[in-house]
Amino acid sequence: MASDGARKQFWKRSNSKVPGSIQHVYGAQHPPFDPLLHGTLLKAAPKVPPTPVKAKRVSTFQEFESNTSDAWDAGEDDDGLLAMAAESLDSEVVMETARRVLHSHSQRQEQLKRQEPPPAPGGDLRLVKSVSESHTACPAEGAGGTVPLQRSQSLPHSATAAPGGPCDPSTLSSSALSEREASRLDKFRQLLAGPNTDLDELRRLSWSGIPKPVRPITWKLLSGYLPANVDRRPATLQRKQEEYFAFVAHYYDSRNDAAHQHTYRQIHIDIPRMHPEALILQPKVTEIFERILFIWAIRHPASGYVQGINDLVTPFFVVFICEHTEEEDEDVADVSRVPAEVLRNVEADTYWCMSRLLDGIQDNYTFAQPGIQTKVRMLEELVSRIDEQVHRHLEQHEVRYLQFAFRWMNNLLMRELPLRCTVRLWDTYQSEPEGFSRFHLYVCAAFLLRWRKEILEEGDFQELLLFLQSLPTAHWGDGDVSLLLAEAYRLKFAFADAPNHYKR
Amino acid sequence: MTYAYLFKYIIIGDTGVGKSCLLLQFTDKRFQPVHDLTIGVEFGARMVNIDGKQIKLQIWDTAGQESFRSITRSYYRGAAGALLVYDITRRETFNHLTSWLEDARQHSSSNMVIMLIGNKSDLESRRDVKREEGEAFAREHGLIFMETSAKTACNVEEAFINTAKEIYRKIQQGLFDVHNEANGIKIGPQQCISTSAGPSTAQRNSGDIESNSGCC
Repeated sequence: MASDGARKQFWKRSNSKVPGSIQHVYGAQHPPFDPLLHGTLLKAAPKVPPTPVKAKRVSTFQEFESNTSDAWDAGEDDDGLLAMAAESLDSEVVMETARRVLHSHSQRQEQLKRQEPPPAPGGDLRLVKSVSESHTACPAEGAGGTVPLQRSQSLPHSATAAPGGPCDPSTLSSSALSEREASRLDKFRQLLAGPNTDLDELRRLSWSGIPKPVRPITWKLLSGYLPANVDRRPATLQRKQEEYFAFVAHYYDSRNDAAHQHTYRQIHIDIPRMHPEALILQPKVTEIFERILFIWAIRHPASGYVQGINDLVTPFFVVFICEHTEEEDEDVADVSRVPAEVLRNVEADTYWCMSRLLDGIQDNYTFAQPGIQTKVRMLEELVSRIDEQVHRHLEQHEVRYLQFAFRWMNNLLMRELPLRCTVRLWDTYQSEPEGFSRFHLYVCAAFLLRWRKEILEEGDFQELLLFLQSLPTAHWGDGDVSLLLAEAYRLKFAFADAPNHYKR
Repeated sequence: MTYAYLFKYIIIGDTGVGKSCLLLQFTDKRFQPVHDLTIGVEFGARMVNIDGKQIKLQIWDTAGQESFRSITRSYYRGAAGALLVYDITRRETFNHLTSWLEDARQHSSSNMVIMLIGNKSDLESRRDVKREEGEAFAREHGLIFMETSAKTACNVEEAFINTAKEIYRKIQQGLFDVHNEANGIKIGPQQCISTSAGPSTAQRNSGDIESNSGCC
């Protein structure tokens, strides 16, 4: 498919016209991003009401296709590219980040050179590719004390990187690390204290991870659920919580009606099959998940309930409930001692935040799942450009991207990563424009290429597929996710800014 | 490892009937009381021995939810065998068999061998579909039939192997074009296959399939 010259590369299409999750289906509040703050190249997005409204829904794939057929006529001009680059970041941030990324990259490369014999000559060792290699070539990464610091320098918006350039990681001790964390937490607290939280700054800060104590409120702000103005927050929360429970009162009794019992039954049998069991199987939690999913499904008939959506409730719920439980580990939070009123609020907050997330990716779940089909094709196209060797290898062994990447899109990698990693991932997804749709694509590409060495060593369809559907990430922590995100960011940056490098 | 043939299977049926548990029991010989939801399609594989020949089974386990049907349909093509599963404790999963069968017939190669499976036979006290009903449905639609329990492993081996035997028998009879991979069959590397085996082999195989009362 990548060789199909007639098809235009997706990063060259005008963003607003691309079908798939790139287009907000309706009432989309996500991503919480104000284009007016980011340069003038992008037209301001139309104002949308704060609650999902019954706007034009797409009920068939054909309808969807015809609605979006203009996407394929998008001009192949470079203005579109510029607009796309400027849309995500203003140019100063881009340049600064680029400088930092390149600097840390060359540092890492140099380190590697010192540690390892030079790579065998052959092929086009592009920048991107060589970095993917370096990830797998250095298994000690992630364990070493200095590596996380070095990593954070390569992250965009890194709040702590000195403006004059990154300092030598080896000189920083662990106390400096915790100092750094403490100062980060301080910055968050200052921002959140108001009177008006600078959401743009909050995104910058959150991109490289949100400290646990401020994560619940930060997520609520980033998702657009809470207003930036501190004084308006309590009233907003109360109103939204009341609104949600009005939905419950209105719809939930209909779960056994002929029209809805199928949906309810499906949700009801799916929840016990979710993770983490210790949390989900607590009766109160099971009930909360059933209500949230049922109400969402009823209010979004274009997609209804599709397996996978259930997983998207979990991160919000664990982040919000952990404020009220003693357990450090989100997997085992015990809700039995949480007061009923608090639990109700957590339920409503979870519903609204999940709902906003889904607004941005609803076409993943409409008929024939066009969003997913598009994204898997984009992933294939992207990988074929970044790492032709891996792409050819998969092709040669008849492994299709849909066979392993469908679930990556349908469940936002939640099935491939431990829950703690998903939470960290979502810090960034909520800080990044179109984090759950477009940026997720780059994360998926980085994720696939994270396993490049193992993939290339496997010379058999069966073994490749078995490997790809259960990737060894059980031990992963924040460091691994940060590395993945940094790589994804690099890819995004490279493709949005300089696609000509990758032209065939 | 070398093999004479590779057969591709697909497992279909309503959500929650135990498709993934059957596969796990067959490939890993273990049972997971709470299996993760299958999203889209998942993959499993195992080698079996039919008539002294090594046969590699590659199995696509599909998500049962209706929403995934557009994805899972594409896996019918290129499957030599299908396991169509219902849950003997849930009548509606039996009632949906006709639509599953239509889907399978419409999207697969005409020779695909279909094995009807009534799963969860260990839950006799909660049985909602009689064994005879399953047998009658299978007879009427020309399917092989077995009741299985992914939990106790009862008849699980047999279900996968009998399907393979039937495919093998069809190959012997020349009903499958083994050189067309779209049929879900591949000849193993360096195999010299004669498609004209004696009728005695075929008869013995089909005889095995009929006598499958087993432990259930």
